Amino acid sequence: MSSLMMDYEFKMKTQTERVKVEDLFDYEGCKIGRGTYGHVYKGRPKDGSDTRDYALKQIEGTGLSMSACREIALLRELKHPNVINLIRVFLSHNDRKVWLLFDFAEHDLWHIIKFHRAAKANKKPVMVPKGMVKSLLYQILDGIHYLHSNWVLHRDLKPANILVMGERPERGRVKIADMGFARLFNAPLKPLADLDPVVVTFWYRAPELLLGARHYTKAIDIWAIGCIFAELLTSEPIFHCRQEDIKTSNPYHHDQLDRIFNVMGFPHEKDWEDIKKMPEHPTLLKDFKKSNYVNCSLVRYMDRHKIKPDSKAFHLLQKLLLMDPNKRITSEQAMQDPYFQEDPLPTQDVFAGCPIPYPKREFLTDDDQEEKSDNKRQNQQQQQPQPQQQQGQQQQQQGNQQDNHNPAKRVRMSGPQGHPGQVNQQAIPISQQQDFHQQPIMYNNGSQQQQQNFQQRF
Amino acid sequence: MLHINCGRLKVIQTLGEHLKLRQQVIATATVYFKRFYARNSLKCIDPLLLAPTCIFLASKVEEFGVISNSRLITTCQTVIKNKFSYAYTQEFPYRTNHILECEFYLLENLDCCLIVYQPYRPLLQLVQDIGHEEQLLTLAWRIVNDSLRTDVSLLYPPYQIAIGCLQIACVILQKDHKAWFAELNVDIEKIQEIARYIINLFELWKTYDEKKEIQGLLSKMPKPKPAPQR
Repeated sequence: MSSLMMDYEFKMKTQTERVKVEDLFDYEGCKIGRGTYGHVYKGRPKDGSDTRDYALKQIEGTGLSMSACREIALLRELKHPNVINLIRVFLSHNDRKVWLLFDFAEHDLWHIIKFHRAAKANKKPVMVPKGMVKSLLYQILDGIHYLHSNWVLHRDLKPANILVMGERPERGRVKIADMGFARLFNAPLKPLADLDPVVVTFWYRAPELLLGARHYTKAIDIWAIGCIFAELLTSEPIFHCRQEDIKTSNPYHHDQLDRIFNVMGFPHEKDWEDIKKMPEHPTLLKDFKKSNYVNCSLVRYMDRHKIKPDSKAFHLLQKLLLMDPNKRITSEQAMQDPYFQEDPLPTQDVFAGCPIPYPKREFLTDDDQEEKSDNKRQNQQQQQPQPQQQQGQQQQQQGNQQDNHNPAKRVRMSGPQGHPGQVNQQAIPISQQQDFHQQPIMYNNGSQQQQQNFQQRF
Repeated sequence: MLHINCGRLKVIQTLGEHLKLRQQVIATATVYFKRFYARNSLKCIDPLLLAPTCIFLASKVEEFGVISNSRLITTCQTVIKNKFSYAYTQEFPYRTNHILECEFYLLENLDCCLIVYQPYRPLLQLVQDIGHEEQLLTLAWRIVNDSLRTDVSLLYPPYQIAIGCLQIACVILQKDHKAWFAELNVDIEKIQEIARYIINLFELWKTYDEKKEIQGLLSKMPKPKPAPQR
């Protein structure tokens, strides 16, 4: 009976016409990322017609999972310079694997921030253009504004999902990636919280989500952007919280709320009137005492990290990190903020033509078992982002981040560019630097010519 | 061809109702089904397999969740046995692995274009603009459901289909909204074409007795051929 389900000729014809990923691309041994989303490889076209690099994402599991379905359905329609471009989908019928072909991005904010933090610990300055953080933020907002105006929520924004293009093409351009959690939110058939009770990695999760909001909005992406902005300014995750290996469908998370209040202070009722309507509000009243947080405020926290409360950067940050989702700024308003009109202006190339100080992506070895046990140990020891617990399926996005602590297993990619410490001659004294970046930022757009080339406004 | 299409699409609608899906999921599944057979012969994949596959895929895309495989198969068996025994004398022959395999072929043939815009949302806005008319909305909504059995979803944008269905509903209910229609900035020719497609369907339903004719039609339908015997 089953032999009649499909016409033999049709089956043969589609089989001959079907292009296989392994026929078109070399990617063996070129794994650059691993996580519960699957595996990512750096691929080169086999026919040599094109020397560009590509990213090939092999989606975890077999068949068309919900996250594969979302990513394909949405990215097939979306097109914006700051949103990752899905070039092609490969369906491998034999092993039932789904492959997605993307442009390759050499950097991401997880690696960039990690690099800055290491440099800070070693007291070594990193040379980046003055306006880099501003350019990064502007482009993230631009991409999210595009998604939001097309009724798409990202729902999993965090540094590992913000990619930055390397030397070529589109040098230094932000690409928002990993749409495995994204969804359309106009006229949902079911409450948004029903299908995915827990979304967004804890550290970047908005307070309304932690309090069990069922009908969350664009504002959750804006909160996450605020967290990323703070992390770019200070090199520290602003709402860093110890993470146990929790697999829970309950969004309420005591320690994470405690951390937020420790930075922001406990929300006054007049600042967030609807907090009373939150499903977990009774738990909040039971678990927390306002008096424990009287000395906490974002001003103090950022001041400790040398971001002045009268700077434009701080003012914008404050608007992105408002506790009340209804009062939080929108991406459109944020892009109009005076911060972006103040010198240095944001640039399309976030590196503004300057040499890129960050190392290139490294290849991971194929030792799955070992890597997995390593991850667990290291997450506990180092408290690296161990992102996103989701109902049943844990999401350790961007697995490479966890694998990074084991240099013995990796191979450095060749190529002289992208190494730190080669541009000292262009350094300027610290006294002349702008105040918005705590990390000594020494690049002063070296020559005037560079400035003309790369300081164009958007 | 039109007759067969109608029957098949009825299978999708009935399956969807038994699975308690929202109409939007059913509508999207129907459009996938039509798009597939607009590009491929009916013999390429047995429509009885493609119908549940379209539902399975549409439910994911419309964020209605993944339908449990066993529930889908059981529902297919029940629906075919209880509602369509006049057309299919045998049991529903497919299992989960067939649907999953078929899903890849469907995706491939749709070129991964999965998001479908439906006339329902523009219809709600239009009726709201006319003024609160429950009766009008209910009827127009049903006509949009019926329009899924025609080819209009392949030929016209959703907002035009919504206007076409609304116009038919006004005629049936003898509501005079001519002034309102006149103010719409739309290609009235296209609206008339859509209305004609749907009215033709209604005419057909008056004279067509599916239970009598389906066996003859099914026997004429091209069927998948197995691998040549060696």
